Amino acid sequence: MNFSRYALAFVITAAIFGTAFYITHRLDAQRVADIRTAEDTLSIDLLSTQTQFELLGSLDCSALGTQPILSDELNSLAARLSVAEQNLGTDNPQVVQLKKQYSLLEIRDYLLLQQISQKCKSLKPVYILYFYSNSGDCADCARTGDVLTYLRQTYPDLRVYSFDYHLDLSALQTLIHLKKVTNTLPAFIVNNRAPVYGFKTLEEMQTLIPELKTLATTTSATSTSSR
Amino acid sequence: MEAGSFGIYLFLFMGLYFEVFMLITFIEKRPAARNNSLPKRFPTVAMLVPCWNEEKTLGKTLDSLLALSYPADKLSIMVIDDGSRDNTAAIGKEYAAKYPQQISYHYKENGGKYTALNYGITHTDAEVIGCLDADSFVAQDGLIEMMKAFEANPGAMALTPAMKVFRARSVLEMMQAVEYTFGIFYKKMFDNIQAINVLPGPFSMYKREVFDKIGLFRHAHNTEDMEITFRMHSHKLQIANAHNAVVYTTVPSTVRALVKQRTRWSQGFLQNSLDYKYMYFNPRFGNFGLLVLPFALLLFVGGLYSAFYVLSRLIGGLVARVLNIQSTGVPLSVPTPHVEWFFLNTSMMTFVIIAIMSLTLVAIVLGQRIAQNKLSIVSIVCYFALFGFVAPLWLARAAWGTLTARESSWR
Repeated sequence: MNFSRYALAFVITAAIFGTAFYITHRLDAQRVADIRTAEDTLSIDLLSTQTQFELLGSLDCSALGTQPILSDELNSLAARLSVAEQNLGTDNPQVVQLKKQYSLLEIRDYLLLQQISQKCKSLKPVYILYFYSNSGDCADCARTGDVLTYLRQTYPDLRVYSFDYHLDLSALQTLIHLKKVTNTLPAFIVNNRAPVYGFKTLEEMQTLIPELKTLATTTSATSTSSR
Repeated sequence: MEAGSFGIYLFLFMGLYFEVFMLITFIEKRPAARNNSLPKRFPTVAMLVPCWNEEKTLGKTLDSLLALSYPADKLSIMVIDDGSRDNTAAIGKEYAAKYPQQISYHYKENGGKYTALNYGITHTDAEVIGCLDADSFVAQDGLIEMMKAFEANPGAMALTPAMKVFRARSVLEMMQAVEYTFGIFYKKMFDNIQAINVLPGPFSMYKREVFDKIGLFRHAHNTEDMEITFRMHSHKLQIANAHNAVVYTTVPSTVRALVKQRTRWSQGFLQNSLDYKYMYFNPRFGNFGLLVLPFALLLFVGGLYSAFYVLSRLIGGLVARVLNIQSTGVPLSVPTPHVEWFFLNTSMMTFVIIAIMSLTLVAIVLGQRIAQNKLSIVSIVCYFALFGFVAPLWLARAAWGTLTARESSWR
C-alpha cells in the first residue's frame, strides 16, 4: 500500500479545485470591473447630454437627436448587473455598490428625460418607474420582471427604470418619498401618474399604459432575464 | 451554496480525485510495449466457450480460437451448450466433427452461464483455463500474450485481456467503443495497484489452482465473473492485466439491450458488494478495499444523484416556465443567446467539469496508446454527448432492482 499516492492525489485534486475557484473569482472580478467601466462611460455620456441640453436649451430639440437618453446602454447595464447578482449574490458589497451607481444613473437619466420632454414637446416619452425587492418580500417581482422585459423588447422606445425599493441610497429614497410609493411591491409609476401596486399580467399592463399604442414595435420579441 | 449543488461538488471532487489517482499510477508505472518474443513454456490451455442461443456468432468465435498462434496439441476448445434452443448445437457439433483434435461439443440442461463454466472446469485437466463468451473473438496472438503475461507476473493467478468493441458502426456502438478504450486504461492502472475489479467473460484466463483453492463459479446475481474476482481478492489471489492480449467483443446495438446488459452488471456490482461488504474500507484488501470498491460505489451513487439533480432542475424550470407563461400572458419565445464572454457560465462547477472531461479524454488517449487502438473524433463526441444520458437509466434500474431484490436478467 502506497499511502503517499493517496495524499498526492488529494493535493492535486484540491489544487485543481482551487484553480477553478481562482479563475471563477478572477472572472467575476473582471465582470465587476466591466460594469464599473460601463457605468463610468454612461455617467460621462449622461453628463454630456445634459450639458448639450443646457447649452441648447429648447432652441434646437432636433440637435439632441431622436434618442437623447441612453436607454440601450442602461438596458445592457441592467442585464450585466443581473449576471453579477446571480454570480456574486445580491448581498455582495461590490454588487450593492454597482447597483447604487446604476440606480443613480437611472434617476439622472429619468430627470434628464423629464427636462427634455418638457422643453421639446415633440418628444413624448413613455416610461415606467418600477419598484421591486430582492429581500424576499415580493413574491410577484420575478413574474413582473418577465412582463416588463417582454414589453421593453416589444417596444424599444419604452423606458423602464427599475429600482430596488430597499436599496440604501438617499436619492432613491427621496424619489420613493416624492412619488409616495408605499412598501407594497411590486409598484409602478407610468408617465408620472399615481403609483399602481401588485402584479399585472401582460394584458393588464398594456391596458394600464395606453401610450404603448403610440410606440413602434419590434417584429418579434425575445425574452431575457430581467430584474 | 444550496444543498443540492454541494452534493454535486462533493461527487465531482471524488470523481476528479479518482481520475488524478489513476494518472499518478500511470506516471509511476507505464505499461510495457508489445514485443514479438515467445513465452518460455506453453502450458496446456482449455478454452471454455459457454453458449446459450449463440448461433449468430459462435462460428466466428470458434474460428478466432482455431486461428490462435498456439501449439495445437496444447490447446483444447470446449463448446458448452447450456441448453440452447436455436441452431447453436448444430454449429457446435459441426466444428467438433471438423476439428476433433481441438474442439469438443458438450450439451447440458440450461442452468445459467456459471454452470456451463463449472461443467468445463470439471471436465478438463488443463493447467490454464480460459473463458470466452461466444460473442467475442480473440486476436491471433492473444493466447501467446496471455502466457507471456503469466510469465512476466509469476504471482498472477488470473489475467484479464484488453477488450475492444467489434465493428463499432452505430452511434451507440461507437459510444461503447470509447468506453471500452478508456476501460483498457483503467484496467491496466488497476493492475498497477493490484485492484482489478472484474475478470470479464471474454477471454479471462485462470490458473487451475484458482478453482482448487477457492472453488468454482457461483450464480452470484448473474455476474459470476465479478463475484470470482471479489472472491479471489478476499483470498489474496493476485489478478493481472495482459494489455497486449486483445479480444474483440460485440456490444449491444440498441438502447434497450444496452440498458439491460448494464443493469445486470450494475446490479451485480451492488449485490456482490453487499455479499462482500467486509472488504469495503478494509486495508487488509489493499487498494481494492480502500479505493476501487468504495469509489465504484461512490461513482454509482454520484451518477444517480447527479442525474436526478439535473432532471429535477430541468423539470422544475420547465414547470415554472409554463406556470409563468400562464400567469403573465407573456408568449413563449426563444431566448437570444449572448455572444459576449460576460454572459458565459463561468461558475466553479463549469471549470471542474471541464477538468474532469479533460482527464477523461486523457484516459481515452492513453487507453488508445495502450491498446494500439484508433478512435474517431465522431466516436469520442458520441461518448461525451450520449453517455451522461443513457448511464442513469441502468443506474436507476440497478438501484431499484437491488432495493426490491428483483433478479436482473441476461437478455
